[in-house]
Amino acid sequence: MRATMSRRQILASALISVLATAPLGATLAAEVETSKVSYGGSSWLGHYPVWIGIKKGFFEKRGLSVDWKLFGTSSARMGALAAGDIDFAGTGSISALALMAAGSKAFYVVAAPESYATVEGIIATPEIKTVKDLKGKKLGVTFASSSHVLVLDVLEQAGLNPNKDVTLINLPAGDTPSAFKAKQVDAVATWTPAFNVLRAQENARVLLDDREFSLYKQYQFGPGPDVLTVSRTFADKNPKATAAFLDAFFEASEFITKEPAEAASLLQDLTQLPPEEQANVLKDIEWTGRAEQQKIMAREGDFPKGLQALADFLVRHKQIDKAPKVDSWIKTQVLP
Amino acid sequence: MTAKYAPPMVSVERQPRWRRLKNPLISLVSFGALLLIWEGATGLGLIEPLFLPAPSQIAQRAIQMAEQGTLLGHIVASTWRVTVGFLIASLVAIPLGIILGFSQTSRAIFDPILSFLRPLPSMSWIPLSLLWFGIGESQKYSIVFMGAFAPSLLYVIEATKSVDPLLVKAAQNLGARPRDVMIEVILPGSLPQILSGLKVMLGIAWTCVISAELVAAREGLGFMIMNGKEYFQTDTVVLGMVLISVTVMATDLVFRFFERRILPWKA
Repeated sequence: MRATMSRRQILASALISVLATAPLGATLAAEVETSKVSYGGSSWLGHYPVWIGIKKGFFEKRGLSVDWKLFGTSSARMGALAAGDIDFAGTGSISALALMAAGSKAFYVVAAPESYATVEGIIATPEIKTVKDLKGKKLGVTFASSSHVLVLDVLEQAGLNPNKDVTLINLPAGDTPSAFKAKQVDAVATWTPAFNVLRAQENARVLLDDREFSLYKQYQFGPGPDVLTVSRTFADKNPKATAAFLDAFFEASEFITKEPAEAASLLQDLTQLPPEEQANVLKDIEWTGRAEQQKIMAREGDFPKGLQALADFLVRHKQIDKAPKVDSWIKTQVLP
Repeated sequence: MTAKYAPPMVSVERQPRWRRLKNPLISLVSFGALLLIWEGATGLGLIEPLFLPAPSQIAQRAIQMAEQGTLLGHIVASTWRVTVGFLIASLVAIPLGIILGFSQTSRAIFDPILSFLRPLPSMSWIPLSLLWFGIGESQKYSIVFMGAFAPSLLYVIEATKSVDPLLVKAAQNLGARPRDVMIEVILPGSLPQILSGLKVMLGIAWTCVISAELVAAREGLGFMIMNGKEYFQTDTVVLGMVLISVTVMATDLVFRFFERRILPWKA
């Protein structure tokens, strides 16, 4: 028997496979109510699946054309979602909770894409060995970020007052390495890639990471886990397009897990990180697949409980006025 | 003397009390009406509070922050930064501006530098100021200084150039040295215009302090607005804006007080 096929056989089998898959693609494309979807993203890891999904054509094969819009901060992204300028947004949960607390019903939380307990934390000079050693020191952190919440929490755990015992300085995450290197601060709380950059420095040590956050110990819940949100108007009008988007999103996150090298190479345009460093960042992320989403996002699941506890924490630390009932924003029915 | 030959008395005649109060009353009523419409529109749900909170909500936020003791800290921090940055800018701009306005050679030397500095917004100085001054208060003063200095200098140069050249000539003919001409003729002659320019610059210095407080600040009205924005507390954002306006008006009154003292003939 000949092990190889003739040219005619190859062409015939290719034609059969095209004909076999075309109706599926056409059906998916024809099913969605709208083909145009806008997404608010940034170079942060929570947005990797959408970037990969665009590059690999996962959205396209479901009939969706995704318009990537870049936003520097979660609050700017969520502001655009609330104003109806974008349809989907990945965001840190603190911005989502703040928007809920402000009374906006403009969005649903539909997924918790990943967890990353080891790429965010406090980096300090070698002489600072415990959180208590931060007393009287200067600590740079981006206010209203997950790192800020981490700082408030660990200081509270150590019995330190963030307004009196430590001088907290509001710094953009990108400026934390330069401020630390210039000795303008004694410690910084930051996240990847700044966290990875500083971790590799000689005169810097990781004082702690997200695993020291009190809710992590209780719910495996970081200080500001990412959530995927969708405009309520968009999801209600376009349930099939919403489901198709999420389907493509999870295909992309599975792809990142299975093909990290190719994913790292595709992400370089977005993050500008060297391939090795990009691959290291990917190693630190645990992607939550579509099968687990229903379980963790369910009413009694760990994620809504943790999110509610985080809202209560923010109220206790006077970051938001009142804790929203987060259940009212979570919509798992749209999950594929 | 008949009324026919009486000198015109219009300028010294006192207006009736109701007429003097008429315009302030109109302003008060229009402002009150605006607040009522605004409150009504948010109360009826025509405007979502996330996009524009009601005046009563803003007032509640002000009370809450005053009770927590944070409100005054924000006002004082920003006012101090504006005062220091603006004073340094004025102290450098006034003598330098008089020299540049007086001497064409000096102007030719400094013109290219000034043309380069003039269009730069204060925000563009943030990265360099962080490298030069770190993250302390001097960095914030420097942002206010850089935002206020070049325009102030231009005001002073223009004010100096507008002094009547006949006065300068007369002083020179009477044997005054250049230094005396500057101090005795040009400075008093240009001072009213310089002070008018600085009054405008004081307002601009307040816009600079917002940029200055974007990075490495933990209090100040700019910080308050930006932090409120991050948490979607629109009432805090609007309160910060209102406080900036009120503080600018208050500093303007203080400025006018000093202006009357320095230029009594203008009052």
